[in-house]
Amino acid sequence: MPYEFEEILETIKMTEVEHFDIRTVTMGISLRDCYDRNIEVTKEKIYSKIIKHAKNHVKYAEQIEAQFGIKIANKRIAVTPISIPFDAFSSKDFIEIAKTLDKAAGDVGVDYLAGFSALVQKGFTNGDLEMINAIPYALAETKRITSSVNVASTKAGINMEAVNLMAKVVKKTAELTKEHDSIGCAKLVVFCNIPEDNPFVAGAFHGVSEPEVTINMGISGPGVVLDAIKNAGFTDLNTLAEIIKKTAFKITRAGELLGKKVAQMHGVPFGIVDISLAPTPAEGDSIADVLKAMGVEDVGAPGTTAALAMLNDSVKKGGLMASTSVGGMSGAFIPVSEDQGMIDAAKAGHLSIEKLEAMTSVCSVGLDMIAIPGDTSAESIAGIIADECAIGIINDKTTSARLIPAYGKKVGDYVDYGGLLGKAPVIPVSTLNSKNFVSRGGRIPAPMRSLTN
Amino acid sequence: MNITEDELRQITLQAIDELGEKASPETVKKVVTEIIQKSGETVVDNTAKQTESGKVILTSFGLNHPGIVAGITQTLAGTNCDIMDISQKILSDFYTMIMVVDISNANVTLQELQQKMNAVADKLKIKIYIQHEDVFKHMHRV
Repeated sequence: MPYEFEEILETIKMTEVEHFDIRTVTMGISLRDCYDRNIEVTKEKIYSKIIKHAKNHVKYAEQIEAQFGIKIANKRIAVTPISIPFDAFSSKDFIEIAKTLDKAAGDVGVDYLAGFSALVQKGFTNGDLEMINAIPYALAETKRITSSVNVASTKAGINMEAVNLMAKVVKKTAELTKEHDSIGCAKLVVFCNIPEDNPFVAGAFHGVSEPEVTINMGISGPGVVLDAIKNAGFTDLNTLAEIIKKTAFKITRAGELLGKKVAQMHGVPFGIVDISLAPTPAEGDSIADVLKAMGVEDVGAPGTTAALAMLNDSVKKGGLMASTSVGGMSGAFIPVSEDQGMIDAAKAGHLSIEKLEAMTSVCSVGLDMIAIPGDTSAESIAGIIADECAIGIINDKTTSARLIPAYGKKVGDYVDYGGLLGKAPVIPVSTLNSKNFVSRGGRIPAPMRSLTN
Repeated sequence: MNITEDELRQITLQAIDELGEKASPETVKKVVTEIIQKSGETVVDNTAKQTESGKVILTSFGLNHPGIVAGITQTLAGTNCDIMDISQKILSDFYTMIMVVDISNANVTLQELQQKMNAVADKLKIKIYIQHEDVFKHMHRV
């Protein structure tokens, strides 16, 4: 037998018992050739191009799932940041484009299409401003579109004008989608150092240096890591790091194999594997549970940040060896509403926004899917975004804020979206005022770290 | 099938180029119309494109009882699949069996084989998984 008995059973156990799945296979499509002076022609070009490339996306992914016996949870599409090719349009036109993208996504059968995005870390073009002002309306009037705006980078510093504008956009989005617990905010991420090949919605887009069409893969597997840690018993941390690394290696190898096969079927180049541990609200698919298995009583306990840092680093080391093309976010995700363990910790009052902020300095994203009171001021939201960006630019890493100022809700209430977006308790935000800082505007200059040449 | 103005222009220019001296308004129109009709019919579909070695791993486990191997191998024989290796372990009442099966000459696709095996698994009250060999190769071999 070419394989050991135990090896085969281990793989079966991963897929059947431990929720190992590929979190997302995302097709990136360039829309740079879709501009036309006439908005109607532009819409037609966008629609045709997405249909042309992504028509079989879901079908191929399903076939690969069956062939290898590993589930691919989400099939998605990312496009060129909309503000770039369509810079000449107005807000009204951008909303039309969002609707066209929404229709195309629905017609090819994907649940989300990402890339209603702008990159404004150093300043706005006219089109950027028009597009950003269209975001609340675009998110309110579509179902499958997600949006992201990059407001800071290590090389450019923090564009505080953009931070302030995005705080207002987040508030407006919450208001326009108040009927559904401000769900628009769950589809809007403010970034620092956004990666150009991230396959994970809502922050995905198809970067300007990417090829015409590509396939990127996002792995998952907190359940597999959790079981490996539990089975290891009470070992020292060196041994534990080794166990996490080995597990990450295996799941990344599977992810890369499936990604390459899907790309092969499409006849397009394979992009990257994003070696992220991404949780879902399903039982046993939680990063919080992994941290607890490592030994902290609950997420938020002293030591949580250290445990998360080690987990994140070990996953990267294992994944890096497993794949020749690692990219995207690559690290552990800690969204509150999408992780049952995190939801419980927030509900119990163990997890404050300040502790979450500390945790974001050692993991792959930022303050993710956190519900805050609806009456939180735009200045406070801007302050939180600026804090996250500061962590990002100084440490040369991706950080983000996906905050939900739940319209009309206060501390103790819930936002509940069901499905993958999950459910989150509204947690308190400091009521101290930072208006006189954020309203100064301008830019926080690029840090020392940026001078690497 | 919608063709944009740009694409139409490109097709026309290429047709003129290839026709060379024979190009006249009539011949160009005829060629372009043919191309557009043809492109409407060709739906690119790579579903059947499978470039693997054709070996799958069939794993089966559950409560041991007579007729399990017979049930599985009957289906494999019926679909012209070739068993290359079998290994099994029995622990009290539980059995685990792993087969390496070559499906290169099978008269069904992998999906159809999986469906047939699901029916066998339901009948015998056991679990059967069929996965392509590559996934094990990638996960456990550096």
